[in-house]
Amino acid sequence: MYYKAAEEMGIKEKLGILTDAAKYDVACTSSGVDRRGDGKGMGNTELGGICHSFSSDGRCISLLKILFTNECIYDCKYCINRKSNDVPRASFTPDEVCELTMGFYKRNYIEGLFLSSGILYNPDFTMELICQTIYKLRREHGFQGYIHVKAIPGADPMLIQKAGFFADRMSVNLELPTADGLRQLAPNKHRKNILAPMRQIQNGIEANKNELVLYKKAPYFVPAGQSTQMIIGATPENDYQLMMVAENLYQKFGLKRVFYSAFVNVNEDKELPALPGGPPLLREHRLYQADWLLRYYGFQAQELLSEERPNFNVLLDPKADWALRHLEVFPVEVNRAEYQLLLRIPGIGVKSAQRIVRARKNGALRFEDLKKIGVVLKRALYFITCGGRMMYRTKIEEDYITRNLLSVKEKLPFDKDGMTYRQMSLFDDMSFRMPPEREDCAKAAFGQL
Amino acid sequence: MEENYLICEDSLEGIFTGIYEAYALRREHERIHIQVGEEENLRLFAAYMEIQPDQGKAAKVAETINRRLGGEAYLDICRALACEDGQKGEAVYKMVVCGLRMKDGREIMGNLANSYVHKVFELARFTRNEVHHWKEFLRFQELENGILFSRIGPKCNVLTFLAPHFADRLPLLDFIIYDEKRGIFAVHPKSKEWYLVTARDFEEEKIAPYSEGELEYQELFAFFCHKIAIKERKNLKLQRNMMPLRFQEYMVEFGQ
Repeated sequence: MYYKAAEEMGIKEKLGILTDAAKYDVACTSSGVDRRGDGKGMGNTELGGICHSFSSDGRCISLLKILFTNECIYDCKYCINRKSNDVPRASFTPDEVCELTMGFYKRNYIEGLFLSSGILYNPDFTMELICQTIYKLRREHGFQGYIHVKAIPGADPMLIQKAGFFADRMSVNLELPTADGLRQLAPNKHRKNILAPMRQIQNGIEANKNELVLYKKAPYFVPAGQSTQMIIGATPENDYQLMMVAENLYQKFGLKRVFYSAFVNVNEDKELPALPGGPPLLREHRLYQADWLLRYYGFQAQELLSEERPNFNVLLDPKADWALRHLEVFPVEVNRAEYQLLLRIPGIGVKSAQRIVRARKNGALRFEDLKKIGVVLKRALYFITCGGRMMYRTKIEEDYITRNLLSVKEKLPFDKDGMTYRQMSLFDDMSFRMPPEREDCAKAAFGQL
Repeated sequence: MEENYLICEDSLEGIFTGIYEAYALRREHERIHIQVGEEENLRLFAAYMEIQPDQGKAAKVAETINRRLGGEAYLDICRALACEDGQKGEAVYKMVVCGLRMKDGREIMGNLANSYVHKVFELARFTRNEVHHWKEFLRFQELENGILFSRIGPKCNVLTFLAPHFADRLPLLDFIIYDEKRGIFAVHPKSKEWYLVTARDFEEEKIAPYSEGELEYQELFAFFCHKIAIKERKNLKLQRNMMPLRFQEYMVEFGQ
């Protein structure tokens, strides 16, 4: 079998088509693996990842994110590249991808390559092309930067295994959170086919860890772990279901990251919901906040939501929301509380909790010290004591604190014309215009660091 | 009683020598201050001393800091001293005094309640962020002779932190990073160690013209950045927050 790479088409035109087709994939992270160069090729990777630019939607550009081809035999209702759409089609050759990656990388435009693909002919054929490309990149061009590739569901496990030894991160998209949703919107995809490669990669990573203990020089298999993404707002699942799925993926499949992608209606299909207010950005934001709580703050999905309260609070972030429902825990004495409890206080993040634990060894902390450490006192003051005293006389009462927290104004990564807010005319006096902090945005909003 | 002001050169060596001399005065540290660069307003009842940088004395101080306060604190001190801040010498000096008095000096960076430690912590964080920004936003342009050239305008002296990152990344390539604010170059010849060069009267016109493919790559990347954006999520404010405008003049995708 061979494929036509449309050689008469220029590289710029191809890049345009295949970038356009790849942009809805969320994961553009280059994190998770720290690797120095060996002096013989080109490239290294940093644990925290590096963003090289930001596009006009404010998302980070870290990797050369492209599809190998946007030809596809599937007809998923939400996807711009579905078979039944009349869009310009193009395919790269492995050499073209290598050349672009190397040319961009040495100019410091990118951290590496993110290669995904439509399904050309069949899953095996497509996966084979992906493998060939990254083999060339690693072996012929000596590329040691970051590589993220998709595992194509339904492809031969041998091919997925092979790709795993050249890539840093692999991902299989869950697409939709439940099997029902998948049946409805992606008739050619099956839940079982998606979970199979995910399990295979998980087992591969486990086995590789054991090998590395025995032989230090064993090759690395997907060293930066695997991730997935699901589309939110295209099917009727509630936040509780989404969080339970995410928690399961973290616990049972050992995933590094789950990405949430606010549904953008590109096809106007009758099966899809109309979203007059634009993509559900606030909902996506809340999910990322909660995701952070699961991974770094020791929360369980069931603490945040339940069958009875299946959706996140629009006005409060999930952590403040939790705190207000558990006022019996507060106030917490900052000079004595355990690390895990410090993490649960609104206004105290992972970094400030670590700094508190370290700083209080040198003597009791006062409120002004907390400020230096980076605690957001405006939020934390209702929940803490320092040396047995609260900062001001305040009531520990749900309504009172809620009112005060709301007046502090939450930092959101998009402002009032960020569409989702139109419906909230009741709260027009609250401005969402505070600029988000770099870390908050990159990490909490898109989780792209 | 009289206060001592030690005037040091704005360099690691200069300030470390100042700390050495401060200890050599053998009086209470509260009355000794380190000032970087020229004195501005002379104070009454103060004795000013010019300190000449001395490699041997500076090395002793560096060794003590490394041994007693640990590598983390030492690196943070180096970062803090890369900042342009009049108070940096004094903050580092008083932090060292504080650290040497502590039971375990290695815990010094955790002692954020101390205002000098906090100052050093903030300056170090500033440099760390600035270095990280330039790792992200620096762009190389390929010249006709094959050398990759980059011009940057950082707020603090980041070259010594930046060059190792790129030397590890591009070991087989010749590259030059030019700090236009300070007139310093980091030069990396392929397969060799990198080094710094100072050249105050450098004119950018003198560098070789671009290589043949360079403009095409710039155009391709600008096109890529344009195509990757989702128009339904357009958010220029977020873009600017993540990538302050001052970097854009150095980035090829934003054009001239």
